[in-house]
Amino acid sequence: MRKRLLQALGVIAVILAVIALLRVAPAGSATQSAGKTAWGDPDLQGIWTDEYQTPLQRPAKYANKEAFTDEERAELDRQRAGILRRDQRVEIGSERDVAGAYNAVFQSIKHTGKRTSLIVDPPDGRLPALTPEAKQRADTDRQFRLALLQATQTCKDGDAACAGGKYGPPSPRRAEVPPFYNTGRLNRSDGPEDRSMTERCMAAVLPDFGGYRRIVQAPGTVSIFYDVGQGQGWQRIITLEQVAHPPSSIHQRFGDSRGHWEGNTLVVDVTNFSPKSDFLGARENLHLVERWTRTDAKTLEYAVTIEDTTTWTKPWTVKQEMSRQDEQANRIYYEPRCHEGNYGLPALLSGTRSEEADFAAGKGPDPATKDSATDFGTEGGVDALTGGG
Amino acid sequence: MARRSLIAAVVATAVVTALVSVSVTRLTGQSARPARAADGKPNISGVWQVNNEANWDLQGHDARPGAVTQRGIYPYAYAEVAGAPVLALGAAAIVPGSIGVVQGDKQIPYTAAAAAKKTENAAHWVDRDPELKCYLPGIPRATYMPYPFQIVQSTNKIQMIYTFSNAARTIHLDNVAGPPDDAWMGHSVGRWDGDTLVVDVTHFNDKTWLDRAGNFHSDALHVVERFTPISPDALRYEVTIEDPKVFTHPWTIAMPIYRRLEPDVQLLDFPCIDFTEEFMYGHLRKQQLVKHWEGDTIAVDIRRKVPPGEQLFDWYGK
Repeated sequence: MRKRLLQALGVIAVILAVIALLRVAPAGSATQSAGKTAWGDPDLQGIWTDEYQTPLQRPAKYANKEAFTDEERAELDRQRAGILRRDQRVEIGSERDVAGAYNAVFQSIKHTGKRTSLIVDPPDGRLPALTPEAKQRADTDRQFRLALLQATQTCKDGDAACAGGKYGPPSPRRAEVPPFYNTGRLNRSDGPEDRSMTERCMAAVLPDFGGYRRIVQAPGTVSIFYDVGQGQGWQRIITLEQVAHPPSSIHQRFGDSRGHWEGNTLVVDVTNFSPKSDFLGARENLHLVERWTRTDAKTLEYAVTIEDTTTWTKPWTVKQEMSRQDEQANRIYYEPRCHEGNYGLPALLSGTRSEEADFAAGKGPDPATKDSATDFGTEGGVDALTGGG
Repeated sequence: MARRSLIAAVVATAVVTALVSVSVTRLTGQSARPARAADGKPNISGVWQVNNEANWDLQGHDARPGAVTQRGIYPYAYAEVAGAPVLALGAAAIVPGSIGVVQGDKQIPYTAAAAAKKTENAAHWVDRDPELKCYLPGIPRATYMPYPFQIVQSTNKIQMIYTFSNAARTIHLDNVAGPPDDAWMGHSVGRWDGDTLVVDVTHFNDKTWLDRAGNFHSDALHVVERFTPISPDALRYEVTIEDPKVFTHPWTIAMPIYRRLEPDVQLLDFPCIDFTEEFMYGHLRKQQLVKHWEGDTIAVDIRRKVPPGEQLFDWYGK
């Protein structure tokens, strides 16, 4: 009896020991199965990007069409290639001409994607309606921007960028503090806060549907470096070990990411956003649920459900497929040094101070009559056909 | 009898192994943190931080009344007083002393010209140190800035993510060629030498500094870092710094790096691009807030109203 107990204990102990050894030190015996890391998690690692052009919202003309056929994609690509506008110039030396300086030579023109919109829910591929308070916020913000534009040629010409505004003398509102923390380009350069997050080298937001991302994993952590273009990027850490977010008094520009594995899918809950980050009008109340799934060796599927009850009347979901990128070819893509070389922002400010001095001395136009905020409204570029831009 | 002894021995060994494994897991903290990664290498994933004064000055130095000082009533450097940029902060502005982290003879082997430039850098610290502008910190400085950083250790890549300015670097264990340009954070290629992670860093620009004391390098900088576990919660960090344009021979710094053991530790935002805008561009505002230009001089207004009833000022008058 005692011997049997001893044997039973021995078997249990041996099993425990084997399990423990396997967990602690499977050195040399680690066989990395396809799609799994050495420690057995789904392997999402590598450099990834969405190689195709798909607009966020489905254009009205494709209202009942979720996907393009291969023939339609080829035809759209053929048409788009014909309107790259590499050499498009308007009146040389005009503000409008300068605004067009980033022509197709500077842009990544991607092939037309499979789907007619990134948004897969609502099923019509369109953003859900704004809540009444979000509409009010958007309108208040828009009215302020239009007031700052009203003495410009943009409004005089009735460009799309001035839609809803009027042309007139410089508005007294030019002396006002913006109604909300500004993240876009105001037609004013009183200080850095008037300029856009892009001009301030803080353009990145989460969720992000463009650019490149490098994923490196460890047990309990998934890290993602996002290269979002314009020399800007950011490093994200997704914690898998602890489920609870920090208290709501903690605000992070890109939120706080807590993940877990559901089968082969990394599910990430993101909260604790900052009032200084803006995603289509959503700020500190933004809540994301992301699902990252490696569907094959070269494809990473990304789906995100976006929710903010103070902004949208219901949650909505975006889905995209990213393709694995070549390590050697992309070795330059991981040092965001926009800020280190940001001559643009001080030049915008000091240039405006010079213009103000010139105007005061009767030697130049009122800076309020110049437009440094808009590109005069879109006139339909290469992506007008697919609805993007 | 022999068979019974064998069983007993196997049982005893297995029980001990199981207990040791379980207790190792328990002792190392919040969730299982095995000493080894799945590939058998030391497991250095986690949040780490130095606990020293290296970012102030790699070399040994006395405490100073502030990061910026000016002449007091005596002509001696040791009798300087806190300078205007930090005076308003009182003892919170004091720079702590340190025995230094430079190995060997404790000297940084500058060429004569470079030594002069270092002295000049120190005298113009506020204007020249890239840290104050929130520029990417470079390697090795990123490691010993006084903020946590996180190591995400995979098999072919190790990502190091720094609190300061959300900077990061990828250490390639799979020998990826360097970028076709120089970089603030350099290009890191790593390999395991026994239990030591050896990282060879090249492709630097000449824009980063090594500390707040004006220690600098050129674009010929070559850094070799060695991360060696000395306990589950501490690493020895040793760096050989080579730059024939600035130093007469390679030199070495060394320090421990400690694991942050708080169960809920995580890197948080350090949005210094945002927070340094006033420092960098404040004088370009239409309505100046804190700093302004007077001719070729920047003036920072540190005047502040003292709230009524402050005992210190009541006692000593104004």
